[in-house]
Amino acid sequence: MKERFGLLLFLILVVSSCQKKEEPITITSEDYHNSVDKVTEVMIHDIFSPPVASRIYVYPNIAAFEILAQNNTKYKSLAGQVRGLEQIPAPSQTESINFELAALVAHIDMSKRLIFSEERIESYRDSLYTSWADKNEAVFNASKNYGLQVADHIAAWMDLDNYKQTRTMPKFTVNSDDPSRWQPTPPSYMSGIEPHWNKIRPFVIDSAGQFKPTPPPPFSMEEDSDFYKEVKEVYDISQEITAKGDESEEVAIAQFWDCNPYVSVTRGHLMFATKKITPGAHWIGIAKIASLKTNSDFAKTVYAYTQTSIAIADAFISCWDEKYRSNLIRPETLINEHIDDSWEPVLQTPPFPEYTSGHSVVSGAAATALTDIFGDNFAFDDDTEIPYGLPVRSFDSFKEAADEAAISRMYGGIHYRAAVEIGVKQGRDLGSFVVANLDLTND
Amino acid sequence: MNRLLLVLICSTLVLGCKKGGDLFETPDSNSTGIDFTNRIEQSNDLSILDYLYFYNGGGVSVGDINNDGLPDIFFSGNQVKNKLYLNKGNLKFEDISEVAGVEGNSSWNTGTVMADVNGDGLLDIYVCAVVGINGFNGYNELYINNGDNTFSEQAARYGLDFDSYSSNAAFFDYDLDGDLDLYLLNHAVHTQNSFGRYDLRHERNFETGDKLLRNDGGKFVDVSETAGIYGGVNGYGLGLAISDFNLDGFPDIYVGNDFHEDDYYYLNNGDGTFTESLKQYFGHTSRFSMGSDVADINGDGRPDLISLDMLPEDEVALKSSEGDDNIQTQKLRIQQYGYHYQFTRNMLFLNQPDGNYMETALMSGISATDWSWSALFGDYDQDGKQDLFISNGIPKRPNDLDFINFVSSEQIKNKIDNTKLVDQEALDLMPSGNVANYIFQGSEGVTFSDMSGKWITKDTIISGATAMGDLDGDGDLDLVTNNLNSPATLYINKTGSKSNYVKLKIQFSENNRFGIGAKVYAYNKGEIQLKELFPSRGFQASSEPMIHFGFGRSEQIDSIKIIWPDRTYQLLKDVDVNQTLTISPKGTQPFNYNPAKSNGELLFTAVPNNLGFDFNHEEDNYTDFNREKLIPYQISDRGPAFALGDINNDGTIDILVGGSKFTPFKTYIQQDSVFINQRFNTVENDSIKETVSAVIADLNNDNKNDLFLTSGGGDFFGNSEALLDAYYQRNDSTFSKQKLPEFFQNSSVVKPMDFDGDGDLDLFIGGHTITSSFGAPASSYLLENDNGNFEIFQGFDQDVLKGMVTDALWDDFNGDGKIDLILVGEWMSPKFLSNKDGTFAEVNDLDLKGLWQRIAPFDIDGDGDTDYLLGNWGTNSKFKASKQHPMKLYFSDFDENGQTETITALEKNGTYYPLETLDGLTAQMVSLKKTFTSYTSFAGKTMDQLFSKEVMEKAQILEVNTLASGFLRNNKGNFEFVPFENNLQVAPLMAFAIEDFDGDGQKEVLLGGNYFGVKPYHGRLDSFPGALLKSEEEVILGNQLGLDFTKKSLRHLGVLTVNGQKCLLAVFNNDRAQVYKINN
Repeated sequence: MKERFGLLLFLILVVSSCQKKEEPITITSEDYHNSVDKVTEVMIHDIFSPPVASRIYVYPNIAAFEILAQNNTKYKSLAGQVRGLEQIPAPSQTESINFELAALVAHIDMSKRLIFSEERIESYRDSLYTSWADKNEAVFNASKNYGLQVADHIAAWMDLDNYKQTRTMPKFTVNSDDPSRWQPTPPSYMSGIEPHWNKIRPFVIDSAGQFKPTPPPPFSMEEDSDFYKEVKEVYDISQEITAKGDESEEVAIAQFWDCNPYVSVTRGHLMFATKKITPGAHWIGIAKIASLKTNSDFAKTVYAYTQTSIAIADAFISCWDEKYRSNLIRPETLINEHIDDSWEPVLQTPPFPEYTSGHSVVSGAAATALTDIFGDNFAFDDDTEIPYGLPVRSFDSFKEAADEAAISRMYGGIHYRAAVEIGVKQGRDLGSFVVANLDLTND
Repeated sequence: MNRLLLVLICSTLVLGCKKGGDLFETPDSNSTGIDFTNRIEQSNDLSILDYLYFYNGGGVSVGDINNDGLPDIFFSGNQVKNKLYLNKGNLKFEDISEVAGVEGNSSWNTGTVMADVNGDGLLDIYVCAVVGINGFNGYNELYINNGDNTFSEQAARYGLDFDSYSSNAAFFDYDLDGDLDLYLLNHAVHTQNSFGRYDLRHERNFETGDKLLRNDGGKFVDVSETAGIYGGVNGYGLGLAISDFNLDGFPDIYVGNDFHEDDYYYLNNGDGTFTESLKQYFGHTSRFSMGSDVADINGDGRPDLISLDMLPEDEVALKSSEGDDNIQTQKLRIQQYGYHYQFTRNMLFLNQPDGNYMETALMSGISATDWSWSALFGDYDQDGKQDLFISNGIPKRPNDLDFINFVSSEQIKNKIDNTKLVDQEALDLMPSGNVANYIFQGSEGVTFSDMSGKWITKDTIISGATAMGDLDGDGDLDLVTNNLNSPATLYINKTGSKSNYVKLKIQFSENNRFGIGAKVYAYNKGEIQLKELFPSRGFQASSEPMIHFGFGRSEQIDSIKIIWPDRTYQLLKDVDVNQTLTISPKGTQPFNYNPAKSNGELLFTAVPNNLGFDFNHEEDNYTDFNREKLIPYQISDRGPAFALGDINNDGTIDILVGGSKFTPFKTYIQQDSVFINQRFNTVENDSIKETVSAVIADLNNDNKNDLFLTSGGGDFFGNSEALLDAYYQRNDSTFSKQKLPEFFQNSSVVKPMDFDGDGDLDLFIGGHTITSSFGAPASSYLLENDNGNFEIFQGFDQDVLKGMVTDALWDDFNGDGKIDLILVGEWMSPKFLSNKDGTFAEVNDLDLKGLWQRIAPFDIDGDGDTDYLLGNWGTNSKFKASKQHPMKLYFSDFDENGQTETITALEKNGTYYPLETLDGLTAQMVSLKKTFTSYTSFAGKTMDQLFSKEVMEKAQILEVNTLASGFLRNNKGNFEFVPFENNLQVAPLMAFAIEDFDGDGQKEVLLGGNYFGVKPYHGRLDSFPGALLKSEEEVILGNQLGLDFTKKSLRHLGVLTVNGQKCLLAVFNNDRAQVYKINN
């Protein structure tokens, strides 16, 4: 009896393993959004600074886009359009390859290479792999192999972007003898992050310095100087809006666009971090909103992410080039020293020099990239920050959102006016250059 | 069978009530009746997230409240009622709290003190409370003893009913008017996120500020402002130690502040005011200062101080807890915000005759005792040496890095941001820190041995406030700890009269019956012990008001001197041991606290105008650790260069000194008994380099002295011209720069010698490092002189001159009539290079790999041959090395990005761990972040577990097996290393001068050092006061000779004669040079 039951079980197993399923594997734009969201989630856990985060978004998107461009007449490869990228290998055979699946595999694999906590991506990936293999093992394997092959190609290109070398370059030297020079700020007085980001290979712009902004007003703490007036303005705005209370529109705007991946909080005996997404990640979130709202297909979704993340990545290179050129001191340091020693900004001051405002540059660039894809006057409800306890805000256009993101840094007490206004211009100029020089569609 | 059962039962019973270690038993509460448990219950409104000192615990005070000769015990509870236990003898105690009326009314009690506040001969009890935050109400309570085992709360009547954030208090007579005043220690709460400027401490804040209260006829008056006591919003006062630190008869105060606020060192001016003097006398302090205690631990008659911190000894806790600031934050805190140097570890401060403190906790072996609350010095084994008990533990470690970075935000962010509710689950994720208490045995010197697990058993109880007293009346010191969520522990000392003791109970004046402030010196067989009676000690506690001495085997003590608080004294002679003396003033005489300074002036006197030598060395802002993040110490701060010689050929000795990057070196010409800074254009125009070593000598045989300077600085790299050494020939009145063979590295030293006997001076140039490649061996060169032109001498085996050379000495060490060469350096043994007819061969096989800084020839043992003095790193640092377990430096391009890295590894419990933290390592090797995604995954891992075998095998390994400075004794040509005594090991030795300083016809060695080029984790090696070495045995520290070397980093010593007066020149890194007159 026992033996016969065993035999039956064996037969069932044999039969079921022989019967390979051949269901189609459908990859939707939703799958791609999920993969991008997963990367965002791991990035928040691992804690990446905004410039590094921009790099983590862009390479996986490019890998996915390049695969789609192989097989989709609407889109053109980035090879030759972004610095140093050569044509990805063509698949050895095309019939059993699901290019969307391959693109997603490449996205996940590249993401895994770029974050720290690989196991978090792996567990996500493995459950997808299992479900795909279950549906159609042959297609899955062929697509996966191609996706990984392309990921290797993109990774080899990525490895030449000077990221590795910049890891061991000198830290920013604090020198408190120079009153205009940036200093670490409360509460955790972190060292200036990524002082060598301008040495990262850019994608579309000619060089980190191509969109070098005009300098900020010359440093002076004389009360009639333009610079001092800007310092005072930050203080006055802050006093005015905090007097109105946490419910004030300006405070709400500042909080909404905080996008600080590491805010140090002191409570009781504890000093710990509350973590949010970065400015780049917020705009990646807006790219998702626009794609969903337009019911964009898989390819257009990847295209939107790719163009946006390229603009963001170049924007960080350009902005960081200026930050460690001007090395300008933050409002918090000056206000505490000269105006009000107990003043705290609405937002926590991020750990790098002030000029120009990273969020302004990046928002200007990203909004331009998105406008190029989805058009101007694209109204949307921005719910990106809901997971971080913030409300939805509605905008009539990407440009309007970018302008609000820029001015939010003044409301937040972390930037002077020049950094915001010149910063958003720097971003728009850069964004326009990027979209003018990227030819990704056959429209 | 029955008998066996009986034995079993008996032994179980015995074990049941008398557990413990070799020295202390810990009878349980069933046996003693002491069942007090400071149980704390966290709630939605109250936890470590709401109140930063939620885990600091209650207090404990010991004293005989009913004058029956048996010390009683009072415990204050945070949330539970206070308890008073009457000592019934035989270690049986009776809980009389309720009847006594001392259970308390405040929500959150902290420290407690027993003192006779109203001068009726009965001990009263003061209980501190935290009031006004977290819904805590009440006030500090003063229980006046009614004399019938009941008490009346009368804090208001005495003006002591403070409703503020009190942690501890001390009653003592600061103004010596005969009654007891009060220092009230309050603690800050985090009110703002930034450091704020240091001068916030000047703005008084009622709730958080400390207070000095003067007893005016039974009413306590706040005199903090006029007395100069700070009361600011950032004084996180946790430690309070009262002592007459400067031995002028007026009690002084040391306040230990947690977090970034400096500790306060209040010296009593004797006129009712204090002068806070921390920066003047302390080079650095503990950072998260907690409890403290005072005792003379080295038998020099001066009170020494320990201040506790929270550095874990255990590797897992160490590497997963937040530690010191990074170096730039530290600089900012000090330079920009005005705070002092603070480091995260226990500090042991040895009181020096010049008022400075020599900090030796690392050398003493007591620097890391984890989350430490109370320190109590006492001679627990009664051998005449002070031992040390440290209580510790915390239920949850809020500085756990995984919690800070990963857990906290995900689990509790929303809750605590939005609802202020505590998530129990989140708290559960914080690791617990229930570390066992430590006990250390003192020794002849300043080192301690860890006897935890031997003298006491290791437990997992969290102990805080600790008090001592002779609870069982057997003459030795017992301890009692107030524990969190566990019954209080009694540590009953079993020494008794196995080793001899003398106990003194002091009876003094009407308003200070217990004689608080009395000093007792015991003199026995040439040894001195000093005890002061200030019962508030340790942490939130007061001990039995008595004096206890241990005397080992001595049967009779030569004499005991009691100095009363009123500055009178009396002497007891030939005192029998093993007795308790009750002493009251009798036949007293005035005590002179200011004896005339011993016959005449000290050997060295600082010359006020420095004879015109106004050199102030300013190190540039370059920080090596910004570029090479993992190197164990800096290389950029070894200057300035210094040389004496006749620069202008007028027959008097001039000075060359300097310079640093962009600042040229300077020449000071001796003219009419002063020095005039003279400038030379050639030299000034060549200022980019950092000069580290120089000679003034006639290098081209034209009877005019030329200059040779070597460059270093660790800043310039590659083939930068600034790395080239410089040779200036003297023309008539100017110097002209001459060509030299080119080699690019950071040089350390230049030593001239006519090694080939051809009549001109050749130059040895020591190579120290290659910039950005710490660990790579630099090359040294011998430059052979050919008519004033130099060529690289080729008569060396290539490898012989490789290494991190710091100093060199030309000397005929083998007595063969030919001049030989000795090299010393870092991560290498001294090299003896024998001159064999024009070539050099390495002859020694000394296995003495050190961080050698200096070598000097000196016949230290007076046997007629030359011994060699060797300055090393010293043994008072985080570095640890022995022949068996050398310190290792792995040098390789670990992550293959074209940039080399170094990883320093130290042995602990037989295996090796990296010195750096995960954040430290990943700052240079970001790839490790992929391998170690949490601090837990990294903490406690050995080098073998962290790095693969292939990676480690690629690396070059440098080693150090000797950190002690010492000398090579010349035994007929064989050299044997003899380490110096501990006093000379407190910091790196950086300079020697050999001269007959004291005019006795014999030469002595003057040595100095200190070094600051280390990371905050390492601290600041700043405690060496310099020393005069007359012989192997005779060492006089510089602070007894008039030298001011403590807290400065000495580089050079020079002796010269100005206008017939012999002078000493001391040149420091980043400080003003000093000229001393030598008085002999």
